[in-house]
Order: sequence, then structure tokens, then C-alpha cells
Amino acid sequence: MNAILSIAKTTIGEAIRRKVLLIILLIGVLFLVIAPGLNVLSARSSFAVLISFTLGVIQLTGAVIAIVLTVYLIPNEIERRTIYTILCKPVHRWQFVLGKYFGAVGALGLMMLLMTGILLLVFKIMQPTATFDVLGEIARGPVFFFIQMSILAAVAMCFSVFASPIVNFFLSGGVFMVGTLFSPVFQDLANNQNLAGPVKMAATAIHTILPNFAQYNIQNPIINQGVTIQSEQLYYVGLLGYAVMYIAGLLIGAILIFDRREV
Amino acid sequence: MKLKSPVALGILALAVLGQGGINRALFPLWEKNFSPRKGDLRGLSGDQLLVALAGFREMIAGILWVRADTYFDQGNYDAILPIIRLVTMLDPRQIDVYATGMWHIGYNFTDEQSRSDRRYIPSALALGSEGARNNDYTYELFFETGWLWYHKIDDNYGKAVEWWKEAQEREDMQTARKNILTMALLRDGKLEEGLALYNTLLTDAEKKMADATNQDFQIRQNRDTLESNMDNLLVRMAQRGYFARKGGYEKEWKYDTDPPYDVGFSAQVVVEDRKILRVEGTWNVQPVGTRIRIVLRDAMDVNDPGFVAAGMDWDSKSTVDLDPEKDVTFMQDGLFVKNQAFYRRIDMSRDPTMYPFTKEKYFVEFYYNPRSAPPHIQDRFGFSGEGMGDKNYLNTEIREGQRVVYARLELTRDQILRQGEWASKTPVIRTVNFVPTGTSSQQEVFEVPGLRGAAAAPGQPGQ
Amino acid sequence: MSLAIETNQLTKTYKTRAGQVSVVKNLDLQVERGEIFGFLGPNGAGKTTTIKILLGIIYGTSGWAKVLGEEAGDINVHKKISYLPEKPYYYEHMTGMEIMQFYASLFGIKDKAQCERLLQRVNLGMDMNRPISQYSKGMQQRVGLAQSLLNDPELLFLDEPTGGLDPIAHIEIRDLILKFREEGRTVFISSHELSDVERICDRVAIINKGELVHQGRLEDLLAGGRIEITASGVTQALADKFRSDDVLVSFKGDRLIVDMPDSDSPNEMLDSIRSEKGSVVSVIPRRKRLEDLFLESVRSDNQAKGRVLNKMSDDHNDPKPSAEEETEVGS
Repeated sequence: MNAILSIAKTTIGEAIRRKVLLIILLIGVLFLVIAPGLNVLSARSSFAVLISFTLGVIQLTGAVIAIVLTVYLIPNEIERRTIYTILCKPVHRWQFVLGKYFGAVGALGLMMLLMTGILLLVFKIMQPTATFDVLGEIARGPVFFFIQMSILAAVAMCFSVFASPIVNFFLSGGVFMVGTLFSPVFQDLANNQNLAGPVKMAATAIHTILPNFAQYNIQNPIINQGVTIQSEQLYYVGLLGYAVMYIAGLLIGAILIFDRREV
Repeated sequence: MKLKSPVALGILALAVLGQGGINRALFPLWEKNFSPRKGDLRGLSGDQLLVALAGFREMIAGILWVRADTYFDQGNYDAILPIIRLVTMLDPRQIDVYATGMWHIGYNFTDEQSRSDRRYIPSALALGSEGARNNDYTYELFFETGWLWYHKIDDNYGKAVEWWKEAQEREDMQTARKNILTMALLRDGKLEEGLALYNTLLTDAEKKMADATNQDFQIRQNRDTLESNMDNLLVRMAQRGYFARKGGYEKEWKYDTDPPYDVGFSAQVVVEDRKILRVEGTWNVQPVGTRIRIVLRDAMDVNDPGFVAAGMDWDSKSTVDLDPEKDVTFMQDGLFVKNQAFYRRIDMSRDPTMYPFTKEKYFVEFYYNPRSAPPHIQDRFGFSGEGMGDKNYLNTEIREGQRVVYARLELTRDQILRQGEWASKTPVIRTVNFVPTGTSSQQEVFEVPGLRGAAAAPGQPGQ
Repeated sequence: MSLAIETNQLTKTYKTRAGQVSVVKNLDLQVERGEIFGFLGPNGAGKTTTIKILLGIIYGTSGWAKVLGEEAGDINVHKKISYLPEKPYYYEHMTGMEIMQFYASLFGIKDKAQCERLLQRVNLGMDMNRPISQYSKGMQQRVGLAQSLLNDPELLFLDEPTGGLDPIAHIEIRDLILKFREEGRTVFISSHELSDVERICDRVAIINKGELVHQGRLEDLLAGGRIEITASGVTQALADKFRSDDVLVSFKGDRLIVDMPDSDSPNEMLDSIRSEKGSVVSVIPRRKRLEDLFLESVRSDNQAKGRVLNKMSDDHNDPKPSAEEETEVGS
């Protein structure tokens, strides 16, 4: 446990100093700050647009950071040979993988926390009457994006034990896009009565195996005040459970491969 | 040291199964509660689909809608349709877009003579009901959809009543707007229900006035309006013989809608030129405010359950369709009666897409429904045509519980297009009682007679 | 007591597009406890691969390897050994002290004082709170050595420990390694820094192309020196008479230079020169150097294959470039 924590801590310390990540973060923050300037839209939708845009910025920035951060974690260790100094200590490989992963998630969490803080600040300035309840409501969006990004980081981590960073970048990015955009489509296909059996089965299989990033977008009740959601708490717990399962699966897969890999 | 494989694989299998299970349980919940996509994706092209599924949905929707606004300014209505569809998919909470889109689809596609393309109306209604479903926390789209039935279709008020009852159930409906359900109820012939609603609203308004700490002008005005509307209605119900009939005194009592007044409808349609009709006829009602509906449409089996006389199955679409059937011809216009006659030149030659004339035979329908009439005419004709008659064309079948005037003539494609044997002959169709009088050249006398006297004077007992 | 390191027929084969390439072939190594063992070979000879197998970072294809009596890669062995990789880059944002604490935590050591002590021992007491990014190469190498001492290891693997260092840093590191032996540790040095190895190692193994060429005590391996005779006024005919398989004869201007093994007596040759009225300028006995042994080992192999010598550092025949990359050393 100690080793995992130490490795994670070191990884965070390193990640939050990586220039490329800081530049991505800076761009994200910049967009958050100028968001109120996009006030070209009708009064009724201006709130929705502001929140949609800023949450979108946080999600997109988070995704890019998650991928760029994670794809280089293990390859960098190998390139700099620091991995040898670690693996020749009484550290199991699974500890190393977990440490690296938790470090990535920690760094990601810090960066998303910063963005969320700025989002709330911008929002509070725009609407000085906003109560803590309202702000808390808004902050819920990034919280679930963070869980979403934790899955994404696990995906990238899993790929990084066998793929080069560039390949991994596109692989993870692709999985994220498909998981975000097309989960509803696969679901539709799986439920479509008119399709042939094998197509439906394939769609069901893909839908079940693909990380379902789409469902972490819970903007609806945040953007549209007054919407009632059935069994909301249960849903959130479910989301957390799904993430834990999925991340566990990916990390075990990563460890099994990494255990046999020669670095 | 390597990880113990069987244990790891066991956990792995458990995790994979677990995530799959949770996913299957969770995703329908997300689709139901959180998915911004509530419409049908099939209407979208690939790139639109991608945008609709991507992030920043609400923002893109907002930007697109601003863009659509400039198209409105330019009158580029065709460009707006897909934007409306896309915006409502991206952000199904955009009530304004649904409302505007519905109005736009329903009203803005017109021919050169400003007749709107009614083939779009089922789509407009579908958009309205989709919007209402997606935003059922507010009255707005229930109200708007009801309005389309009430004002645009202007025939089937029962549907308007249905929608506005739904609207009424939403708490955010403005008090002033609640009156409108009464209007629809009255036009739907549900007089007592309308009266009861006035009563309820009046009681509410009085309670609100009593609760109000300051004397709000609006609250007072609303209450007064309700009271006067209710007074009006009671007077009208009495005058138009409702109470007499209900009490079984229709023979003993005197009231304004008895005996039914013969409107003396006659009409002639001349195909003056290719796709140009000259319509003229008589309508023995002197006061202004009468519009007789004329419909030119593809002929069909009148016994077909889908056949609606002088209309169509407006509620036929469940999904929004950006392109109406290209091969359907449906022209509807209003013939304004002046000096007991009507005359209109209908030019369909300049709108080939709206009037494709692909079928062999066409119906020309004339239709008059007293329920749509203004109050001063209803004072004579009654709420549902009790006081209206016509020797030749009174119809009590095509609209349940109503007395309407309905006449149907037929034209062939060759006649309308002035081709084949009709290339050199001018087709003329007319009702049996039409007497050519040269209505169009008639001297324009415009009298505004007293409400009762004028309507009764030229009238002869009908039926 | 078991050997510190023992391998038996250890072989590592990689599959490449061109077929199978053996990086380590049937390697039999024996390293005694408490000795400094030099593991020599040109770049790409398989040194780093062997060390990685011994550490359990990669796995042998066949044969076996034992470290401190246990199977290589055993996590318990890792508690008793340490490894200083060739030219490692540490996390640059950390200070020397933080690096030490990080590695200490991997052993479960929380003792800050010990980290400090070790840093002082490698002469970094003054700089331990500066970030690594400000350290010179020698300082980084010393941090590496300090961290490798954290667990008080019985066995140290040092991969090119003096590579790329300036002369002073060089000497400092060398002295540290010598102290390790005094403390009873076994040190396994992989290097092609021959002068260092010759000075500090008890025993060496030389490998070339994955195969063991020599293994043994340095004194035994370097037994037998040579004698260099320089004379003037010697005729070509006489010089030709001296020439034989093991005797190199050459002229430098009008001076004759003869290089012969010290097992032969030079007296006969000196007499002949004098009797022909030549004059002997100098007679210098020269001890055999590790460099000679090394060159011999590598040369015989390369000559057998018709290859050019003296291009050791450019001799890249490494089948797995990323993992086996080795740095050039200005020796």
C-alpha cells in the first residue's frame, strides 16, 4: 500500500508540472473565463448555454488531459529507466501499475477541481444571487465528468502497457468518442426489432463491452432547472458502481499484460 | 513475481460481468432522464447526427438558433427547417424553438397568394407534441399545440380542448391564459363545461383578489373580464335557444336561432387557365365576417376512414417529418363573403411543388362551419349551426353533432391543367342551384345591419 | 553459503522479423559473495539484458539464474539487492532528499535521518534540498548510488556507474565502490570503462555477442606480460630473423621496435643486436592490461567473422534497440 501511495504521489507531483498538460489546462480555463462573453443568445437559454458550454469545456479538457497524461506514464518511466530503479525494489508490478493509475487520477482530479472552482467563481460573478445549493448543483456535473475521466484514464492505462503513446492516444481518444457519442446508437440498434439477429447481438455485445461514457453526462437536471428525475440517488450510486467495476476490469487486464511484459 | 492468474482472472471476469450488468440497468435510466436526445434520429444526416450526439449540445443549439434567426430575417424558410430539427434534438428543452418551429412549419410555407401549405401541419403538430412530451413540466407547448388546433386548423376544437386541458394542469399557466380553454370548449359545443370553467376561474380570481394585500390592477381586471365573459355567455346561451331546448320549451319560447336560416349556398368553379380557378357563388348573409372554406385536393374514396371532408387527418404523424408528401395536392383557401356573394381567383400555377397535381381526379370542396363563425353570426346560426340551414347543402354527417354546409365537386387533372380535350375548352363546374349572375361585377354595396334585423330579414325558413 | 549470483545456460532470445536473435547465449556466471565483479563487453554484447534478467525485469528464455540463492526476480531478493541503471533520469521536480524518501518508501523505510546520512555519504549533504534538475551528472549518479544503499543491500548491480562523468566525479564514484567491498557487499559492475574495472574488480567476466569469452580472477587473466625492445642501427635482415608468430617487429624511422612476450628471454635478441653493431636504446617490460585481454577476446571473434576491429562503440547489432540501448563512453 505504501509503495502504491508513494508512486501515486510522485506521479501527481510530476504530472502537475508537465508543461503540455498545463497548457491544455490553461486553454480550458481561458474558455471558462470568457464563457460569459458568449452572451449572444436569447435570455431564456443564456443560462443553459453558459452551463452547457462551461461543462463541455471541462469535459473536453478533462478528456484531453486524461489521455495525454496517461498514455505517457509507463512509456516515460521505461524511457527514463526510472522504472528499473522501482521494479528492482520490493515492488510488485501490480503495485506499480496501480500507483501510476492513482497518480494519474489524482493529478486529473486536481486539475478538474481547479476548473470547477473557476467555473463556480465565474458563475457566482455572473449571478451574484446564486446560493450554495445552486453552486453545488452545478458542481455535480464536473464530479461525474471526473468519474468518467477516471474510466478513460484506465482505458489509456490498459492500452499503455502494450501500445506506443501515439497509437494509444488515438485508441483511447477513439474509445472515448465512440463511448460518448455512439452508446445511444448501439443501444438503439440492440433494441431495434427490425434488425437481423446477429446484428442485434453484435450491437448488444458492443454496447455491453464498450465503456459507456455517455451516461456520465448528467447535465440535464443541472441545465434545466425544475426537471424531476426518478431515483436520482440510485442512479448516481449505479454510475459509481459501474466506474469501479470497469476500472477494476481494465486495471486487472493491464496488470495481467504488464506482468508478462518485458520492459 | 507474477500475479496469481486464476485469482486475477476471476476478479476480471467478475468486473466485466458486473459492469455489463450495471450498464444494462443504468443506461435506460440515463436515456430516460438525462439523454438530451428525445427525438427520432432518423431524420438527420450523418454530420447532423454527429453534432446531435456530441458535447456542447446546448451551446451549439443556442448558436444554431441565433443563426436561424438571420434566416428568418432573410425569409429563407427552407434553411430553417433542418436547424429547428437539429436544435430540438441537441437541446430538447428549447421551448422557444419548439414553439417557433411549430408556428413556422404550420404557417410560413405559403404559395404566391399567401395560402399556407397545409401538408406541413401534421409535422407541425408532431413537433408540438414531441416538444410537449420533452417539456411536460411547463404548460407552454401544450398551449402552443392547442393553439395550432384552435387557430390554424380551426375545425376540430375538441383537440384544442384536449391540449389546453393538459396545459391547464401545469401550475405555471398564466391566469389570463386560462380563459382560452373556455373559448375552445364553447366552440366544441361543450357549453355547460365552459360555463362551469368560467365559474371556477371566477371563484379563483375572487379568492386571489381577497388574498392580495395590495389592490393589483391585473388581478382585478382578470376578475372583471371573467365576470363579463360569463355574463355574455349566459346571455348568448339564452338568446341562441340553449336553455329553451334544454328545458324542452323550444316551441313555446322565442329565441334568435329559430327557425333555421337558409344561407342559399351556390357556387361555380371555372378553370380560367392552367391551374387558375375562378370561384364565385352566393351566400345569403349580409353581415360581414363569413369565410367559406374551399379545398382543392386529390380525390379519394370518401368511405375511407382516413378521409376527412374539407380537411385531412391532421393528427396522422407521430414523428416530425421535414418533407411532406411531394405528390399530394392540398389547397385550402377562404372565400370572403361580401354583399351576399363571394368571388375569388385562385392561382396555383406559380407553385408547382406545393400543387404537384399528380393524381387523375380532384375534389373541390366547399365547407362552412358555424362554430368557427364570429359571435355576431353565431347569434343567428347558433353554437353548432342550430339556426343555419341550406336547401341543398346542409350536412349533419361529416361533423358529428354539427350542422355545416358542405358541397363537393370534381375536376380532372386534364381540366385543371387545361390539357388534352380541355386545351381549348374552358371547364366550368357548378352546384345545381348556381345561377350565373355576374357576381363579380355586382355593385359593391356594403351595409352593416343591426344584429338581429339584418340576419332575419332576407331569411326564409330553411328545410 | 550460496553464490551471490549464479546462472546456468542462461539464454535470452528475441523474435524479430528476421528470425530469432539470441542476445544472451548459454551464459554461465558465478559471482562470489563479497567481491567486486566486473561484467565486460562491447555495446550490445548483452550486459544490460543479463542484468535485467537477474533483476527479474525481463525473463530468460531458457536456463536459470539465481540471485542470493533465490530465483531471479523474487520479491524477497529485491529487499536485499539494489540496482543503479545506466544513466537514469530521476523525477526532476524532486529534490535529492525527496528522491531518497520516495525510494525509501518503496522499501517501507520511513527513516528520514537514514536518507540524510546516505546523501551525506555520497557528498550531497549540502545539495540535498535542491531539485534534481539543478544537479550535475555526477551528482545525479551519486544520488543514484545513495538510493541504491537505502536497503543496506548485500548485492549491488551497477550499470556503467562511471559512464560520462568528469574525472573527479569518476574518482569519487570509484572510491565509493571500493568502500562497498570493505563493508562486505557484493558489487556487480557492468562496464566498458576498462581502467576502472582493472583497478577495482576482483574478478571479471567478458562477454561478446551474448557469449561468455572469459571469466576469472583478474590476476589469472592478466598473467603474462610483454617486453618492448627499442634499438638503432639494426639491419632489415636481422629484424626479419626476430619476427615470429608472437613477436611483433616494426621500424619507426631508423629505430627498430620489437614487442615480445615476457616468457621468452630477451638476452639472445639483445646479444644479436649488439653483435651486429646495433645499439640497444631501451628495454621496457610491460604488464598485460585488461584492455589487451578485452581486445583479444573481442578481436578473435570479429576476425573469425571477417569484421573490422576498433569500432567497438559503433558496433550496433542490438536486436532490441529501445531496451538495450547503451551509451558511448569516451574511453
